[in-house]
Amino acid sequence: MTREYDVIVIGGGHNGLTAAAYLARAGRKVLVLERRHVLGGAAVTEEVFPGFKFSVCSYVVSLLRPEIIRELDLTRHGLEILPLDGTFTPMPDGNHLWRMNDHARTRREITRHSRVDAEAYDEYGKAMVDMGRFVKPILTMLPPDPTSIHPRDLRKLLFLVERFRDLSRQDQYNLVQLMTMSAVDFLDQWFETDVLKATMSASGIIGTFLGVRSPGTAYVLLHHYMGEIDGAFRSWGLSRGGTGAISESIASAARLAGVEIRTQAAVAGITIRDNIARGIVLDNGDEIAAKVVASSLDPRQTFVRFIDRGVLPADFQDDIDRYKFRGSSGKVNLALDALPDFTCMPGTGAHLRGAISISPSVDYMERAYDSAKYGRFSRRPYIDVVIPSLTDPSVAPPGKHVMSCFVQYAPYDLREGTWDEKREEFGDTVIQTLAEYAPNLPGIVRDRQVLTPLDLEREWGLSEGNIFQGELTLEQLFFLRPAPGWSQYRTPVSQLYMCGSATHPGGGIMGAPGRNAALRILADTK
Amino acid sequence: MTVVVIGGGHNGLAAAFYLARAGLKPIVIEQRSTVGGGAITGELQPGFKCPTLTHHAAIGSDIAAEMDLARHGLDVLRPVVDVFIPAPDGPAAVMYVDAARTADALRPTAPRDAEAFLKYRAAMTAVGGVVEALLTAPPPDVDSLDPRDLWNLLGVGRRFRALGKQDAYRLLRWAPMPVADFVTEWFESPLLRAAVCGSGVSGTMLGPRSAGSTLVHLLRDAHRRMSGGRMQVRGGPGALTQAMAAAARGAGADIRVGSRVDRIAVANGAVTAVTVDGRDIASDAVVSAADPKATCLGLLDPLDLSPDFLSKMGNVRSAGTVAKVNLALSALPSFGAANAELLSGSIHIGPDVDAIEHAFDHAKYGELSEEPWLDVTIPSVLDPSLVPPGAHVMSVYVHYAPYRLRGASWDLMKEMVLTRTMAMLERYAPGIGALVIAAEVITPAELESTYGFVGGHMFHGELSIDQLFTMRPLLGFGGYSTPVRGLYLCGSGTHPGGFMSGVSGKLAVNAVLTGMKR
Repeated sequence: MTREYDVIVIGGGHNGLTAAAYLARAGRKVLVLERRHVLGGAAVTEEVFPGFKFSVCSYVVSLLRPEIIRELDLTRHGLEILPLDGTFTPMPDGNHLWRMNDHARTRREITRHSRVDAEAYDEYGKAMVDMGRFVKPILTMLPPDPTSIHPRDLRKLLFLVERFRDLSRQDQYNLVQLMTMSAVDFLDQWFETDVLKATMSASGIIGTFLGVRSPGTAYVLLHHYMGEIDGAFRSWGLSRGGTGAISESIASAARLAGVEIRTQAAVAGITIRDNIARGIVLDNGDEIAAKVVASSLDPRQTFVRFIDRGVLPADFQDDIDRYKFRGSSGKVNLALDALPDFTCMPGTGAHLRGAISISPSVDYMERAYDSAKYGRFSRRPYIDVVIPSLTDPSVAPPGKHVMSCFVQYAPYDLREGTWDEKREEFGDTVIQTLAEYAPNLPGIVRDRQVLTPLDLEREWGLSEGNIFQGELTLEQLFFLRPAPGWSQYRTPVSQLYMCGSATHPGGGIMGAPGRNAALRILADTK
Repeated sequence: MTVVVIGGGHNGLAAAFYLARAGLKPIVIEQRSTVGGGAITGELQPGFKCPTLTHHAAIGSDIAAEMDLARHGLDVLRPVVDVFIPAPDGPAAVMYVDAARTADALRPTAPRDAEAFLKYRAAMTAVGGVVEALLTAPPPDVDSLDPRDLWNLLGVGRRFRALGKQDAYRLLRWAPMPVADFVTEWFESPLLRAAVCGSGVSGTMLGPRSAGSTLVHLLRDAHRRMSGGRMQVRGGPGALTQAMAAAARGAGADIRVGSRVDRIAVANGAVTAVTVDGRDIASDAVVSAADPKATCLGLLDPLDLSPDFLSKMGNVRSAGTVAKVNLALSALPSFGAANAELLSGSIHIGPDVDAIEHAFDHAKYGELSEEPWLDVTIPSVLDPSLVPPGAHVMSVYVHYAPYRLRGASWDLMKEMVLTRTMAMLERYAPGIGALVIAAEVITPAELESTYGFVGGHMFHGELSIDQLFTMRPLLGFGGYSTPVRGLYLCGSGTHPGGFMSGVSGKLAVNAVLTGMKR
C-alpha cells in the first residue's frame, strides 16, 4: 500500500529529525525512516550492558544551535544539557593540567605552568569570541556558488567580503590564520606550555585524518568558543540521559508537529523517474511515494547505495566518488565497577567530572597521527574520556559508572589485518594507555564495547567510519560540501535533497544542516 | 631621487632596473662579493661550476624581455625532461615537458595514467592561467580597494569565470588539498604520484599529506609558465643574475658589492638614510630585497615599529627545511639505463608518496631525515661549459633538514647530511660515491649565517595560504610597503613569493612610484 507524503526523510538521526520537524511545522506531511530499532543515528543512547546506558557514538554536545532549541521548544520535550566541567590532562611525569569552567581557577592553574600563558589565555579567549561572532552567521547561511554570476550568489560573496572588511585588522589577521594554519602553529603564537597546546589542539583533529601540525586544523579551535556567544549553555555539555535524549527530544517535537516516524524501516533505494525523485523502496520491497526525498545519510550511502550507477551525471558521480571519508577514530565504552584513580591526582575529585584528555604533549599527538598515515592505529592514541555517570547517575547502576573513550587515530584502512581481527587489540591498547595514568583501570572494567571505524560503518551507516559524514577539511567545506556546486542541499536529481552532516556546515550535534535543508525545501516547494 | 636597494639578488636587481628606468637613482648594496643572492654559480673545484643554492633559476618572460637580458648575456636552455624518477627496482618514470611525449612513454606500462596525464596537463594549463594572473597582479589592499586594485582583481575574476564551472571549482578545491590526495585523484603509478608530489613540497615545511601542498604545486607550475616553461641558464643561476646586474647597470643603477647595510635610519616614521659600512647614504626611499625578518627585525630600530607589528613579524614562519649538497663528479652517474637526456631535468629520489612523507616526519620532531627525499639536477648535462670534458656537477636539495634541530647542532650534523645523501644516491645510482671529486654541504644554519636568509628559508618564508597574496609577508602589508614610510620590501618574502620570477621586484617598484606621488 502506498500513501503520498510530501517529504520522506531517510535516516532518523538528529539532522533528519530536525529537518522533519521543521517541515511538518510548516504543514508538510512527513515520514521519517530509520533503519535501526532506535532513533538518533550517531546521537543515540543504548543500554549496551544491563543497567549501563551509553552515549554509544557521539558523547558530548557542543554546538546544538540555540535557535533550534528555541524554535522546536526542545526543553519542553525533555532536553536538558548538563555542564561538563573542564578538561583534565594527566601527564606522564606526575604533573597535570586542569582547565575548569571557573576562569580564575583556570588562570591560577595555567600560571602554575607559565605566567606568560596565563596572560595570553585571556586575550586568546577574547579573540576567539570575536572570531566566533564572524563565523556564526555563516553556519546558518546557504553557501553561495562562487562560480555563478547570479546576483543572489554575488550578493552573498560580497556580504562575506564586506563582513571581513568590517573586522578589525587584528581580527582579520586571526581569522585568516584560523582558517588556514595548523592548530599547533596557531597556538605557538600564543602559548609556550606544551601540554596546554597539545590539549587545545586536540579539538582541531577530532574526526579528521589530520595531525595537530597539519595546516587547516586551527579552525576547529573556534568551535569551543562558539557556545559561549550563544549564551544558552557552555561550549561543552552532557545531555541528561545521554546524547540519545537529544534525538528523542527532537523526535518528540517532530511527532507533535505531525511527523510519522518508523524505525526498523531500512531504505533500499530511491525511486527516480525522468530525473525526479518519486519516493523510496524499503528493503522489504515496499514502495513509498513522496513529492520530495531528503536524505540525512552521507553521499556514499545516498548516491552509491540507493541510486543505480548511470542515473546521476558523470561529473557529479566523480565528485561523490572522490569525496573523502577516511574515518580516523574509534570508540571504547567501558562499564566500570569503580572510578579510575589517577596517579597524578588521586581520589575521586571534580577532575573526573569533566573531560579527561590523554594529550600529554604535542609530539605525543603528532606521533599518534604518524601511525595512522601508514595504516596503523596509534600505539599510544589520543583519548578523550568522559564519565557521564558522575554528572547523570541515571545512566549506571548505583555505585557503578560508565566511561566513554573517544580514541584517535584508528584509520579505516588498515595496512595489515582487518578491523575484525584487530578489534580487541585496539581495545587493549586503549586500556593500557589509560592505565599508564590510572593504574587501577584494568581491574575495574566489568565490560567493554569496542567500536572500530568498520563498526561505525556497518552499524551506523557512516561510510568508512567518518563521524562527520565526510572529512571537515577546507576542500570539503562551505560551497564545496558535499560536492562543488551542490552545497545548497539540492542534488542533480530534482526533488532529492541532502540534509545530513555531509552538507554545510558539517558534523557534530549541531542540527544546522537539518534546519538549513528544511528551509531550502520549503522555499523550493512553496 | 636616490633609492637604496638592499640586497643584490634577482628581485633586488629587477627592482634596481625598474627604478632606474623610471628615472630614479638606485644604489644596490650587496653584502657578498658578488650579486645574485640565492641565484649564484660557485666553483666547487677548479673547473667545476655548480649552482651554489637554487638550481631552478628562472625569470618571468616579460621581465626578461623588458630588461633585454638576452642582450646582456642570458642564454636560456630548455630541458626536454621535467622530472625523472627512478624506482628502487624496475623501470623509472619520466615526465617530459611535452605532455604527449609523457603519455607515449607511459602508455606501454600504464595506459590509464597515460590518458590521465593528458587530462591532468590540460587542467593544469587551464587553472594555471588564473593562478598566473593572480601572481602577476599586485595584491589588493583589503581596507581600501583602490580602483586600480579593483581593475586587476576584476581581470583575475574574469579569467576565473572564463574557466567554466568544472575548472573553477577545481581551483577552489585543489588549493587547500594535500598534494598526496591530489595525485591520487589523477594517477595510479606510485612513481608518477611521487614525481608530482615533489613539486608540492620541495623547499617547504610540508609533507605530501600536509594540507596546502597542492597550492605550492600550483604556484610552482604557474611560475614555470611565467618563464615560458622549464628552463636552465647557461653558466648556472649566477649567469642570470649577472645578466640582470648588467641590465640594471645599463639602465643607470649603481651596484656596490661587498658592502654591508648596518641599519636603516628613520625619522618621524619615514626613512631618511641607510647606513652602509658605517656611512650614511641619504635616501628618499629604501627597497629591501632581503627577507622581511632580516629587514624589519634586523635593520630597523625596534622603537620605529609597533610592538604588535614586531610580534607578528616574529611569528612569520620562515624556518628552513632544506640543506644543499653540491657534488663535482668525474663522470655521469648511472641511474639504471637512463641516458643523458633523461637526466637533463630534475631527478627525484624517493619512489613513492610514503617515502617523502616518512622523510618529512623527521622534520616535525626537529630531526634530519634518516632517508632524505632528494630533488636533484645535473646541470652539466645540458651545459658542458660548467665542467671539464666528461665530468659533471650535481646539485641536490636535501629534504628535510629543519633549521631548528632538537638536541643537536648543524655544525655536528653537517657531515651527516652528506653521508645520508650519498647513501640515498648510491641506492639509485650505484657507484656514484666513487665518482665524487669534491663535495660541498650547505646547512640551513649556513643559509642564514653566510647567505643571509633569516631562519635559513630560501623562499624568505613558508608558502602557506596564510602567508601568501595579500598576507605576504603580513596582512595589511601585502602591497610591498611597511609601517615605515618610504621603506618597501621586494624580496621573495612578498607577493608572489618563493619561486624565481622577478615579479616582486617589479611590482615593488610600482608601489614605490605610487608612494612617491602621494
